[in-house]
Amino acid sequence: MKAILLEFYKLRRKRVFLMIVLFLLVEISWAFLSVSMAMSRNPDKAGWEGIVVTIASMNGLFLPILSAVVVSRISDMEHTGNTWKLLMAASLPRSRIYAAKYACACLLMLLAMILLSIAIATFGLANGFAQPLPLSLLLRFVSGTMLANMAVIALQQWISSAVKNQAFGLGLGMVGGFIGMTADLFPEAVRRIFVWSYYTGLSCVTYKYENGTMEFVTRSVEPALPLAVVLMGGAVYLIGSIHMSRKEE
Amino acid sequence: MNAIVSTHNLSKRYGDAYRVNEVNLEVHEGEVYGFLGPNGAGKSTTLKMLLGLVKPSSGKVVVFGKEFDKNRLSILRQTGSLIESPSYYGHLTGLENMRIMQRLHDVPDKNVCEALKIVRLENHKDKKAGLYSLGMKQRLGIAMALIAFPKLLILDEPTNGLDPAGIGEIRELIKSLPQRYGITVLLSSHLLSEIEQIATSVGIISDGKLLFQGSMEALQSKSQPRIAIKTVDNETAHVLLYRQGFHSVIEDDALIVKEMNDEQTAFANRMLVQAGIDVIRIEERRKSLERIFLELTGKEKSL
Repeated sequence: MKAILLEFYKLRRKRVFLMIVLFLLVEISWAFLSVSMAMSRNPDKAGWEGIVVTIASMNGLFLPILSAVVVSRISDMEHTGNTWKLLMAASLPRSRIYAAKYACACLLMLLAMILLSIAIATFGLANGFAQPLPLSLLLRFVSGTMLANMAVIALQQWISSAVKNQAFGLGLGMVGGFIGMTADLFPEAVRRIFVWSYYTGLSCVTYKYENGTMEFVTRSVEPALPLAVVLMGGAVYLIGSIHMSRKEE
Repeated sequence: MNAIVSTHNLSKRYGDAYRVNEVNLEVHEGEVYGFLGPNGAGKSTTLKMLLGLVKPSSGKVVVFGKEFDKNRLSILRQTGSLIESPSYYGHLTGLENMRIMQRLHDVPDKNVCEALKIVRLENHKDKKAGLYSLGMKQRLGIAMALIAFPKLLILDEPTNGLDPAGIGEIRELIKSLPQRYGITVLLSSHLLSEIEQIATSVGIISDGKLLFQGSMEALQSKSQPRIAIKTVDNETAHVLLYRQGFHSVIEDDALIVKEMNDEQTAFANRMLVQAGIDVIRIEERRKSLERIFLELTGKEKSL
């Protein structure tokens, strides 16, 4: 716990929170604009599912990049100030620093998810959706997205910690964003190997095309998918942590 | 005296090359131990092994009488360190950097103030560390190492980047630590003059091997005076001196005789003159510490 609090203390003046808010503002504005246009064309289809599925598919593009940026900010400060050795020589093992950084990034992304949910709720309520606020839908949306986030953060953290040049981590985030956005176009077997595909893969609402029209359907996610993403994330986290623990200063 | 740090055949190999080769360091309580060696001799690698930042290829490290591998955390809690370039968070102020160390070591506020005061950074504590001069960063690094007032302080080239006034200041500070706070100091340097002025004990390392270890006096005793006799015929003089029981060597253009007192010198002079060999000059030569260091390390050309 002390190590996690220390990570937040070290993030002072890094303006990470402001950056998350600005990033989400861009995503939300884009999503709300698109949903508003769709609603004005088909007013009878206005509902929570539409906004949730739109945000979920945009998450595939935005969240890998946001995760990359957040993780990079957290890792980079240790590289630039040569502080890995400072912390380790002050009796903090590298595996604990690694775990604290991971927890810090996950908490920040959880905060982003909560902000996103608040924005969705505000949008729905402001537009007078017929159904009441579907808390369970939002909860499933947040938990599915967080699972995908956690796996992506594990991967980003490994790269950002192991490679000093943060351009690598950020580049990977951009590649992830591209894959996350286009994941649904890949065959099922291919898309499941990419952690970024789980933003839409774990979404509790999806699109369905029938007779040339698009429907939003709520679905229950197969248990194999969250399990797969947890296993992938866990494996990458462990490999990253062990790799970094063996590194010498 | 208790050994605070001891290493036993400590080695570090990268590929086929030994960076540190069977080093047996011994640092006693209350000492300022100077770890001296040319650049790339293996000083930093040795110090990193003492802090667990680098894993030894073989050998072991014992600190406070406990084996490092098995007591890593308890040893590190009582050890302060500054390794190579100073480590700091550039986006945080000097004080915030100190607060991070305070949280890590769980020490009270007064330690933060005192450590900042010792390195005279209290007036710059609210400035971002990234904007500090190199000397100030170095001083912040020392303050961070001192924050818990540890039993052992390991400093790797602590005066790097400091101006002459700063070097003097840090030197006086380090010298005072054993008496003022009971801190044993192990510091490395490639500058003999610096170690000579600070250290009470010294270890000399070169190409990964520890070539000398002992008190500063023991090192200085290696610089005992020698008598240089310059004559017009050094070869004949060498033979004549040998017959009288003086072992001399011809160095530069003079005969060098070790351990020769005033009477013996006068006798040798008289004997050479009587044998018809003109004596041009008789002088006392003392090997400088620098000369001893260069001879030990075999780095005559440059450090």
